[in-house]
Amino acid sequence: MPETNEIILELKEVNKSFGGLLAVNKVNLSLNKGELRALIGPNGAGKTTLLNLINGIFPVSGGQIFFKGKEITNLSPHRISHIGIARTLQITSLFSGSTVYENIWIAVQSRKRIYNPLVHASKRKDVKDKTEYMLELIGLKEKAQTVSSELSYGDQRILEIGVALSTEPELLLLDEPTAGLSTEESVILVKKVQGMIAGKTIILVEHDMGVVMGLAERITVLNYGEIIAEGTPQEIKDNEEVRKIYLGT
Amino acid sequence: MILSKISHFGFVLIFGLVLLVLAVLPFFVDLYYQTFLIELFVWVLFAISFDLIFGYTGLLSFGQALFFGLGSYTVTIFVRKFGFNTELSLFLSIVIPILFAWFVGYFSVKLTGIHFAIITIIFAMIGNIIGETWTSFTGGSDGLTFSPPPFRLGLLSVDMMDIKSNYYFVLAIVAISYLFLRRIVQSPLGKVFISIRENEERVQLIGYNVQRYKLVAFIIAGGLSGLAGGLYSLTLKYAGASYLHWSVSGHAVVYTVVGGMGTLIGPALGAGIIMSLEHYLIDILQTTDLVAGIVLVFMILVAPKGLVGYIQSMLKKGETSA
Repeated sequence: MPETNEIILELKEVNKSFGGLLAVNKVNLSLNKGELRALIGPNGAGKTTLLNLINGIFPVSGGQIFFKGKEITNLSPHRISHIGIARTLQITSLFSGSTVYENIWIAVQSRKRIYNPLVHASKRKDVKDKTEYMLELIGLKEKAQTVSSELSYGDQRILEIGVALSTEPELLLLDEPTAGLSTEESVILVKKVQGMIAGKTIILVEHDMGVVMGLAERITVLNYGEIIAEGTPQEIKDNEEVRKIYLGT
Repeated sequence: MILSKISHFGFVLIFGLVLLVLAVLPFFVDLYYQTFLIELFVWVLFAISFDLIFGYTGLLSFGQALFFGLGSYTVTIFVRKFGFNTELSLFLSIVIPILFAWFVGYFSVKLTGIHFAIITIIFAMIGNIIGETWTSFTGGSDGLTFSPPPFRLGLLSVDMMDIKSNYYFVLAIVAISYLFLRRIVQSPLGKVFISIRENEERVQLIGYNVQRYKLVAFIIAGGLSGLAGGLYSLTLKYAGASYLHWSVSGHAVVYTVVGGMGTLIGPALGAGIIMSLEHYLIDILQTTDLVAGIVLVFMILVAPKGLVGYIQSMLKKGETSA
């Protein structure tokens, strides 16, 4: 548990509607620095939409979002990235024709501002060193020259998290990192990822409650775009409403 | 690392050899063939500039004709009507298309896929219509002829009316442009372009302003397409509204797809192959578009990644089986 209770992310009355459909309804959420928060809920509960609002993929229909005390509502995704929020997607999103090395490299490069168009990319020593460090961190150094589409599915998921981490985020939004993996694979992935993301503030979206139980300090439950419960894993487990609509018991 | 050094050395060797062959060629072929080669160099430049925007950045632009035509008209009109010298006019044939590319790109890069292709066609069509109708300025479909004064830069003086001088002049500029583009695509900027082609959403999520990078690619490609147009007019001593027709961009599309997109050398080879075939088959087939069409269909069926892509995959196969 983090010692300080410094709020890093705050959502105030955030709404999102698509036509007549209210996908996110008056969500209030605040996240402490260093916290690992799980966001769970059945399919279609608005979890991914909520992440899309935080990192600017969709504009909000109402409400405000603050990051480290500054309003970031409706900033474009690349601005949000530079402010320090990184994102992985539910469906693996990589540069599939590029190697593992190139995938990380381009993310590391995004933090370097100088662009001399006549400098050979491999001559950027700072970018190269950081890329190698990141490859070591995510455990894909041996596969650096493998084209990312040829990686195992689990490794692709890890690489995507590596790409996100290479942008040096303070807050990481992980959208179902274990989607498409078997339970065994999920456990392995979670173990690997835990080391990588230590010390970062995380929002972990999952629809499989089992994955987050041992991982998150607090869990927020979303249903039909509304937060219906928030608390420790134990509190969530014991929550009547959650059991009724989410666990189906 | 060693591999990249070998490939770099290999490139320098092949590039030097090709230049050497092209440099001595005028001594062995007649003026007619020299003129053909100059035109080929111009289309190579046009094709590789198109490759930057299409092959590397993934944007199918039919607007390149607009910049080609603008470059061509810039040289012609500035020399003929305003009495500018050749060197300044040629320089402006990069600058003016860049300004237009900025304007066109500003609106176009907000769109993606087929919508991008269509809006660029529309801009080219507007250019073409203005060129056709504003006859007092552009000469309309008859076009404008002119006699460029020698190109002077320091001690260098190139007589553009002499075909051999013209040949070396265009060859040198196209070679430099090739090296420039090669450097661009190997630079961090080029890596961002490639990433946009691969996965635009991901590029945005890791913090790149995708629209701005697309605009940069569009402007560079536009400037070089303009230079190609400028060189074309310096060679033919003529500019016409037909150069602004969007179908001119179609040439670049065909060369790029046939040769292999996103490789630079591919579009250059594509231009060479198709223009040579057209050159030799024109008497039999009567129409050159037919040649381009047949080659295009053949390549799409046999080698959808183009000639260079085909060779690369063959080499890769050999490597893994060995």
